[in-house]
Amino acid sequence: MTERTKTRGPTALHIGRRSLLLGATSLAASRLGMPYIGNAAAAEPIKIGMIWAKTGSIVDQAEYLAQGGMLALEQRNGTLLGRPAEIVWLDEPNPQGAQQSAERLVGEQKVVGMVGGALSSFALAISSVAKKAKIPYVAANAATGDLTGKSCNKYTFRLQPPVDVHARILAPYCASIGKKWYLLTASYAFGQDIKRAFTDYITANGGTVVGADEVPVGTPDYSSFILKIRAAKPDVVIGGIAASDLTTFLKQWNELGMKGKIPFAEISVGNTDLWGVGPEAADGLYTITWWYKNPNNSPEEQAMAAAYEKKYNRPAADKAWMGWLGMKSLLDSIEMAKSTEPGAIVQALENWKYRRSDMDIGYRGFDHQMTSRLLVAGIHPKITDKWDYFDVKAELPKTPDDIAKAFGAQADSVCKMDTL
Amino acid sequence: MLDMILSQAVNGLVLGFLYVLIAIGLSIIFGMLGIVNFAHGAFFAIGAYLAYALGREFGWWAALAAPLLTGAIGVLVEMVLIRHLYGKEPLLGLILTFALALLAEALLRLIFGGAPVPFAAPKFLAGFVEYGPILITKYRMFVLVSTALVLVLFWAFLAYTPYGRIIRAGSRDPEMVGLLGINLPIVFTGVFSIGCLLAGLGGLLAAPLWTITPSMAAGAIMPAFVIVTIGGLGSFLGAIVAGLLVGLTTAMTIQFQPEWSGAAMYILMAAILLIRPRGLFGERWERFE
Repeated sequence: MTERTKTRGPTALHIGRRSLLLGATSLAASRLGMPYIGNAAAAEPIKIGMIWAKTGSIVDQAEYLAQGGMLALEQRNGTLLGRPAEIVWLDEPNPQGAQQSAERLVGEQKVVGMVGGALSSFALAISSVAKKAKIPYVAANAATGDLTGKSCNKYTFRLQPPVDVHARILAPYCASIGKKWYLLTASYAFGQDIKRAFTDYITANGGTVVGADEVPVGTPDYSSFILKIRAAKPDVVIGGIAASDLTTFLKQWNELGMKGKIPFAEISVGNTDLWGVGPEAADGLYTITWWYKNPNNSPEEQAMAAAYEKKYNRPAADKAWMGWLGMKSLLDSIEMAKSTEPGAIVQALENWKYRRSDMDIGYRGFDHQMTSRLLVAGIHPKITDKWDYFDVKAELPKTPDDIAKAFGAQADSVCKMDTL
Repeated sequence: MLDMILSQAVNGLVLGFLYVLIAIGLSIIFGMLGIVNFAHGAFFAIGAYLAYALGREFGWWAALAAPLLTGAIGVLVEMVLIRHLYGKEPLLGLILTFALALLAEALLRLIFGGAPVPFAAPKFLAGFVEYGPILITKYRMFVLVSTALVLVLFWAFLAYTPYGRIIRAGSRDPEMVGLLGINLPIVFTGVFSIGCLLAGLGGLLAAPLWTITPSMAAGAIMPAFVIVTIGGLGSFLGAIVAGLLVGLTTAMTIQFQPEWSGAAMYILMAAILLIRPRGLFGERWERFE
């Protein structure tokens, strides 16, 4: 390379008159072509990466997450910074697959940001790519504490409250029912966080864990687990199994005559989990992140819910909202940054705010965790509307101070935030 | 503890019967046609969705038609796709049926959406019975009896009817059966259709217990393959014994080492294959050697 530069350097200075004229003519001609070329560059779409499962046990939730994300871009008429924008949606069949999809989005598709990670293990895998490639990433569904805890990084933002926050809100309700708990949790990050958080709570409050089983993802039959729970005679069963696994469990819980006999509670469930259970078997006490019938929903959320229902002919599930808000925060931040430069988008995401009810919500600077309220919900005693299962009991924490307390202070965080 | 072990053992055997029902169709199709049908789980899911759709539109009794319709879909699939694979490289069958499984899942998602759909057992099958420490739900008893009945009927069909004899002979030496003037393509279509019908029946019976989603096939196909492998490819008796063994092993693992419950059947399979590489009842078939 150095050799080539040396030989070309001197000859480049010898520009003949003909060459000069030709060059000048070309330059003049290019003035006509330039706007055309310039417009072509401007018309190059801005690509946003979306990684939601198209296969596997979480796919039922992922469909809604993806539809919410698509809706967020449609509401902007598919444009960003005055340019066309498009979403590139790749699959996440497993954590390795999620990581490969993120690498493809960054390397091949040249996306300017990513949203996705339906399961905690997927989100952690995508987050590691985001950190390495320095691309902003919004984890809209994953609840493991690690994402904004020990694995936090400057490029990862998380919408879903972490397991500990859900647990702080639901655990007192469970403790008021009884102090003997049985834990049935999935054998990956989400379930293990639930096991730890609820065990810590009940042991610190004078209760006991009478049994704890870790369940593999995709377990088709829970009857043997249910027999163990039945024999242990707990006051409450704390679940930590996600999506269609929860649906299967609740169906078999009812089949084995346990519905109504021992209360079942779980954090962070989705509408779709219950819709698949059916009115006969639906049961439990839950935390949910959003509910389409909540009178406190902002006008923008109400408009989103109406647009979703019009388009898909069914109510907007909580997951549709999460997909929508996660994507919206990224798109808003790109507009705020007036740039697709990753560092500028990250700074905009840190400053992004969204009005919900009586407070502004956004991502905290020190760990990039969104702080917001949660809903505590039981199941209607009689379900008359096939979409409306939840009997919402409270929206908590009540005050901004309580919210800050529930999410934990910077001093308590294990996140060591890196720099851009 | 003894009570709990007894309770889990009975529960495991009941679960095993459901597994047998899912696996038996796969075993028959391989045994008779030599096709490793990766789409078997898809027919299981189709059976469940047809039961849901028919039950929703016309009531529970209409859902009983779901296996027959699944069998009818099997006829079409065999005539259009599968029959071109007979006698060909086994890999082609694997690829085609794998593609078919993906296509079926995508179609189910397109038609019914990705979210799970509800389906409950009829009210007269709700509830359970207790015998000391043993608890069995009426619905699982129904599954057990239905499976046993289907297995006996199918065995009698193969053993005692002329059609059964043609199928058995055709599976061993199709050329000779053809030379005897028997229309083998129709026989093979029938066999594939029966395999699909049994998968559809598995889907119908599992629908009140499992989550009905387009991806539910994955939960069925893996135990089915494990059972067929443990029992011996193509062995009717092997599939029954292996299904019960898998159910029992899974239940006992949940009792003592729950975090290993997902891996237990694979460990069992590995252990049996180390001792008997052809599976428990696997035979040497000239046609597949």
